[in-house]
Amino acid sequence: MDLGPGHIELAGVVKSFDGFVNAVDGVNIKIPDGSYCCLLGPSGCGKTTILRMIAGHEDPTAGEILIGGENVVGLPPVARRTAMMFQSYALFPHLSVRDNVAFALRVRGISKAERHKASDAMMEKVQLTEFADRLPAQLSGGQQQRVALARAAITEPRVLLLDEPLSALDEHLRIQMRQELRYMQRELGITFVHVTHTQLEAIALADLVVVMEKGKIRQAGAARDVYASPKDRYVAEFLGGQNVLSGQVQTVNGHLAVVVAPAGTGITVPLTPGIHVDKGDSIAIAVRRDDVELVRPGAAAADGTASVPGRVTAIEYQGYFVKVMLDADGNQDFVVYVSERKFFGNPLGVGDAVLATWPVDVARLLH
Amino acid sequence: MGARDRIFGWVYVSPLLLVLVPFFVAPLLVVITASFLESDGFGGLIATPTLGNYVDIFTSLLTFNLYLETIKFTALTWFFSLIIGFWVAYFLVFHVRSPLLGIGFWTSNIIRMISWIPLLGKEGLINMSLIKAGVVHEPLEFLLFSSFSVVVAYVHQLTIFMVVPIFNAMARIDKRVVEAALDAGASRFDIVRLIVLPLSKNGIALGSIFVVSIVMGDFFVIKVMSGGGSASVVGALYEDVGVLQYPSAAASAVLLTIVVTLLVTAILRTVDVRKEIAR
Amino acid sequence: MTAADHAVRPGAVSKAMVAHAIAPRAGGRPWTFYVLLTVFVLYVLALYGPMICIYILSFQDVRGGLVFPIKGFSLHWFVDLFTQVRTGDVKGSFDRSVKLAAIVTVITVVVSFLAGMAFRRRFRGDGIVFYLMIGSLVAPGLVLSIGVGLLMHFIGVEGRWYTTAVGAQLSWTLPFGVLVMFAVMSRFDRAWEEAAYDLGATRWQAIRLVVIPILAPGIVAVALFGFTLSYDEFARTLQTAGSLNTLPLEIWTITLNVTSPSLYALGTITTIVSFTIIVACLGSIALMQKRRASRVPAY
Repeated sequence: MDLGPGHIELAGVVKSFDGFVNAVDGVNIKIPDGSYCCLLGPSGCGKTTILRMIAGHEDPTAGEILIGGENVVGLPPVARRTAMMFQSYALFPHLSVRDNVAFALRVRGISKAERHKASDAMMEKVQLTEFADRLPAQLSGGQQQRVALARAAITEPRVLLLDEPLSALDEHLRIQMRQELRYMQRELGITFVHVTHTQLEAIALADLVVVMEKGKIRQAGAARDVYASPKDRYVAEFLGGQNVLSGQVQTVNGHLAVVVAPAGTGITVPLTPGIHVDKGDSIAIAVRRDDVELVRPGAAAADGTASVPGRVTAIEYQGYFVKVMLDADGNQDFVVYVSERKFFGNPLGVGDAVLATWPVDVARLLH
Repeated sequence: MGARDRIFGWVYVSPLLLVLVPFFVAPLLVVITASFLESDGFGGLIATPTLGNYVDIFTSLLTFNLYLETIKFTALTWFFSLIIGFWVAYFLVFHVRSPLLGIGFWTSNIIRMISWIPLLGKEGLINMSLIKAGVVHEPLEFLLFSSFSVVVAYVHQLTIFMVVPIFNAMARIDKRVVEAALDAGASRFDIVRLIVLPLSKNGIALGSIFVVSIVMGDFFVIKVMSGGGSASVVGALYEDVGVLQYPSAAASAVLLTIVVTLLVTAILRTVDVRKEIAR
Repeated sequence: MTAADHAVRPGAVSKAMVAHAIAPRAGGRPWTFYVLLTVFVLYVLALYGPMICIYILSFQDVRGGLVFPIKGFSLHWFVDLFTQVRTGDVKGSFDRSVKLAAIVTVITVVVSFLAGMAFRRRFRGDGIVFYLMIGSLVAPGLVLSIGVGLLMHFIGVEGRWYTTAVGAQLSWTLPFGVLVMFAVMSRFDRAWEEAAYDLGATRWQAIRLVVIPILAPGIVAVALFGFTLSYDEFARTLQTAGSLNTLPLEIWTITLNVTSPSLYALGTITTIVSFTIIVACLGSIALMQKRRASRVPAY
């Protein structure tokens, strides 16, 4: 079976720097050739370490790393046909843009004329031609990123590794550069592995989102799967967009369970295949923030809905939706996204009592 | 990468060791050994271990006086070079923000030292101007060939060793910390006392190490500038060597090295110099 | 051209803002500025004043003495310096000093660079090496000089300015060189080196094409330091130079014997030489820095 040259597989990869703590703790993942993969997680979760191990700048303590079907552990970076884009871009400050881009060719002994030709062609591709003679310090952040990209891509790698490439940019730029990255990936047709701690960035860019915590993969899948159908509490909370409620199982009835929150409210929730629950178990429930409707208390709860009483603690206008934060039944983190028009049709104020309701079917049990 | 790096570490540092061992470690060991031997009176050494040299040194009042004298000059030089050096560095960093240029080492130490003579002498420029201006009626004797001129020459030569490390330390202070303090209402003196001073401690320590070790180890400045009026530990050492009394010179040298090491260690204890330098 | 190209890298703190952290809000300088300025000016005057007197006095007339007033201007003492036998072998010792300094400088640069590279990662015994270096720095020069002299005596090696003196001087210049290298390398981002490896450079290529060019100003600083320290070195060279003197040793002998303004002429000449060399080095550093000067895009 031909997996494609840029197919990456990590099998049982472990990395320990000090012999005590595993920075990467037994990771297994398959990244399809030509896909855009984002490694997502907070600082210290091991995502950058994995990136560097794929690149060859670190060696795993145990496990195998296969690129295009061959085990690359022990091979130096240049032999793997991967290229890395560093967080700080690491552009050589003493070389012009053209020479920066041509560097990989220079160390391979390619003649000046030839490598300048190749460098010019690459700069054309990323629209940097007019900056060819400038030094990196004379470029803006977005321009520097393109130089870094061009420099890495000129070696025609099968995998491009990006270490938090957008972190150094401000909000506005970040969103713009995001699209450039996606565009470049489609143009080049190679596998991109992109490390980030920004959830929205990951789900915007990636074909495959890998959510990590403390050296382990918590969930990997398409952006929509991870965001809308998180498997466990950590993923749900990290990706945002979900409210997580804790409680104890009170009754199990066919394909439904009733979970009782600490404050006493019973919530009916459908059972998730694959998660086995018994009466008395502690369990967590996830409800999407935009699935929740807020009604004034006293209005009857519609059939087929679950609900939780609460009190408004804060209101944030976010343009096309309004973020309403509640203290719901003792749960301080309950957030509801209300469409802007709907909210201002019947605006709430801080301190108002409300009932948060949602259709029973949309809630999910979490591991 | 790890193991390979470690080997490379040793390969890279071996040239340094290639110099340090024969030209620092070995001579030091030789001197220490010589201090325990006897002299045959003609510059040779008799291989009979003895503590005699050390006994002589420790029981000699001369030794005590010499150290007193040398330490006096060290302390004075340190004090003045620190005060001048600190404020010069402060001025350059906080009021002028200019990068420090390594100017000043344009001529030989010795000539630079002697250059004070036409200024400070009885017929020197300073005295002549003072007399002309009517401030004094007779030339000031103490200006030259005195403790005063010794300290002046030392401070002249060594303040730069204070300025450079202190400048580097101060330049690294995050200016925004200072701004925050100003915002909070601190006066500029408060800022110097509570922010600049503690954060330049490493630079001060490094400069102090240079100054102390150089003054303690010097012999010609004190000899020339005091006109022979004062002596120093190393000066006496030099004379011993001149008459080929190697063992007693060696013992004296060992004692001096121990004293300097103690002083430097004491200074090093107040700061983590290594962290200051290597990142 | 997207809007992205027009934006400046965020987070850059402007130099002007940083420089005036101490300047008061009300505009104008505080009185402390003038006090410090005075201190600084006095310091600079004291630093160069005496030497300026020497330069002036070296043009003293034949009839003049060692001190002011100037009786007339002439180049007599310069001539005297080079022709009179009793003033010592100035030309020869100067020659030797420059050659010795050149040798010491080259070795210092190479060894300091290597040592600086070594110390970037921890290795076994790195503490010992570090303290050995500091020890070599603070050890009284004369003590080491004597030690080397005795060592030479026992091994049976003759002291020569181009062998043993080189080693003795290196024990003084290397610690300085390495310390400067530490400071320079701490500002070196390892990502540059990693990027070079990533792009396919061998270890040697990375050093040659990336590390050294970026560190170049620092390396020149070490060279400058090394040359100056060697050229001026006295105590450690004293016992190790052998029968032929370097310039500082020669000057020492002269000061003990000669009492005429030809000594001042010597000072003037040595200054001119050192000055020229230092200006050349600073010039090359400035040139390199200018090439890297950061400028915000003009549009």
